[in-house]
Amino acid sequence: MNYSPFTDWLIQNGISKGTLELLVAITIVATIVSVFRYMFGTKSYGIYAPIILAISYSYTGLKYGLSITLLVILISLLSYSVLKRIRMHYITRIAINYCLLTIGLIAFIIIIKKYGLGLENISNVPALALISIAGLSDFFIKQFVQKSPKTSIMNLVSTVLVASAGWFIITREYISEYAINNLWIIVVLIIVNLLIGQFKGLRLKDYVRFRSVVKEKDDDSKK
Amino acid sequence: MMIQRSKFKDILGLNRRNQEYVRPYNSPSAKRIADNKILTKKILAKEGIRTPEVYKLIRTKQQLKFLDWDSLPRSFVIKPNQGTGGNGIVVFYGKKKGEMAWIRPSGGIMSKNDIILHIENILDGRFSMGNKKDIAIIEERVRTDSLLKQYSYKGVPDIRVICFNGVPIMAMTRIPTKRSNGTANLHSGAICAGIDIATGITTHAMQMDTSSPLSDTYEDIEVTTDLKENKPLRGIHIPDWDNILKIALKCQRVSKLGYLGVDIALDADHGPIVFELNARPGLGIQVANKAGLRWRLEKVKDVEVESIQKGIRIAKSIFGGEVEENIEEISGRKVVNINERILVYHRNIGKKKKGNKEYARAFMDTGVLTSRISEVFANRIGFLSTIKYFDTLEIPKKFDSLKEAQEYIDENEKKLTLEEGIKRVAKIVDDGEIKVRPVIEIKVKISGEEKEMEVVVIEDSEYHLIIGRGELKGYLIDTSKTFKN
Repeated sequence: MNYSPFTDWLIQNGISKGTLELLVAITIVATIVSVFRYMFGTKSYGIYAPIILAISYSYTGLKYGLSITLLVILISLLSYSVLKRIRMHYITRIAINYCLLTIGLIAFIIIIKKYGLGLENISNVPALALISIAGLSDFFIKQFVQKSPKTSIMNLVSTVLVASAGWFIITREYISEYAINNLWIIVVLIIVNLLIGQFKGLRLKDYVRFRSVVKEKDDDSKK
Repeated sequence: MMIQRSKFKDILGLNRRNQEYVRPYNSPSAKRIADNKILTKKILAKEGIRTPEVYKLIRTKQQLKFLDWDSLPRSFVIKPNQGTGGNGIVVFYGKKKGEMAWIRPSGGIMSKNDIILHIENILDGRFSMGNKKDIAIIEERVRTDSLLKQYSYKGVPDIRVICFNGVPIMAMTRIPTKRSNGTANLHSGAICAGIDIATGITTHAMQMDTSSPLSDTYEDIEVTTDLKENKPLRGIHIPDWDNILKIALKCQRVSKLGYLGVDIALDADHGPIVFELNARPGLGIQVANKAGLRWRLEKVKDVEVESIQKGIRIAKSIFGGEVEENIEEISGRKVVNINERILVYHRNIGKKKKGNKEYARAFMDTGVLTSRISEVFANRIGFLSTIKYFDTLEIPKKFDSLKEAQEYIDENEKKLTLEEGIKRVAKIVDDGEIKVRPVIEIKVKISGEEKEMEVVVIEDSEYHLIIGRGELKGYLIDTSKTFKN
């Protein structure tokens, strides 16, 4: 593989190709999150969660990534609904949730090993990716407690959606190759974010949300 | 498609709200006041604006331990000082006899231990922005004014007024429902009704569809949802309206927030009482009013507003009367005063060629669709026999629902319109009661323009004529000039 002179220089001076790919991936996913938030109006759990998820998915593959995400959420919901009956401090509740999560994930891997369920390669999933996805539980429970279950689930779906979009972009071979050979792309991303940062127009979601206001006006003018 | 686009231009979205209004006009220090209920109370008290009376402030678990429970009144509210969106607010209606337990609006009971746990959660910052440590406020429970109470399922309805640059821009009332669990929070399913700034009369109503998987989906509704006898949501006349606008603007002045939402409840004993100030008021108010915030804000952006009175006057003349059209359209409109003398022609009876005419005291009311005429006045201008006939018909005094009234009309239509003066009969809501009344046609002159119009005869009214929005299309209502009797 031939790299551009600058990329070559970076690699020779101690930055591995993998690290470079990852760092560039972060900038891309971060920009995707801002596009989704300010142009489309999807509300994800901040920016950290979708970045970590997208990168984890790039390690696990989307199929494994999504099934682990689903498992993490199910266990969190279950443990929260049991734990809320017990009077205790917030952090201890979250800590217990993580203990249960660990037990659940161990059981999950064992069950998959035994019965397959189309996820036979689960043991190849890097542990760090697994843990990163499990960290989603924290964001989820926090919202679940503070806001309504509906909001937290909607935000979860958006987060996974944004992360999947991120996963799709950063796992395209030609995109990541192009990006690490053309590192000026980071400057472009900064400019894109600067522009989105000034964007005052309606978000896609606003168009849906306020369509009845506009509709009513049309009706009136016909009368 | 082009037309559609220009309509969307009137609407304020989140991006623009934050960039053009919240950030430039609300300084961090002013926002800190709005985000802190205790600070808000202090600041507003200086201006003599009432907020719910504080019974106790609990800052630490130590204080909670030594809380004198017996000193609390029977009913009270617990709020997190820096809570958002109504989270963490618990209302108690009364104390259970002989027990350390309190009754919630839903009928549920919270024991002293449950309450302690809830307060601990507040102190831990569970409901505060950014999960910062918080203070629990135990305060007076507002007893809702009887008028709004009729519409509300438990809980306390409130009125949100958005103010910008010293002008009240848009308003709505939020009415608790079963779905919202007695809270006035739009996102949990409270009913929102837009309010005409000029008159304080509700126009459209909507409710968030909480079952929809998408957030922020609304449905239009006409009547309340959970009451024994559901009431129409249009045409509610908010009491003390001008005072409410005045208080909202005072809040703006004292808080120094350039763009804010003021939440006001109506207390049965004390009148308007400010719940909280909101430095980032939501945008759903546009749906309740079927009107965009953006052009209203732009319209007043560069206006110099020296006094509260002027701010109210500007709002009433520009935004009043169901203003939905573009500014350009407005400038070509005829202006009528909110109270106006209108020339009414007497009915031509018999061979008389030229009829008499006289001035009527009229009120422009965008809260009703069809115009109304008082019975006494209708008699005077030549409809005596018509009304006499109608009174002999023995129509039920009131109906339980609009549907029932319509069925009655459908069944008896022939009989009801036998007299030639009666054009048709209409079902109306008058004083909160559903009635069937006759409709007559009269000839009037408004702003130099002669026209025939249909009016419903109502039993009594302060005004001879009430001109509804059906006749007011194309007019701009000016509330600053009212004629003197």
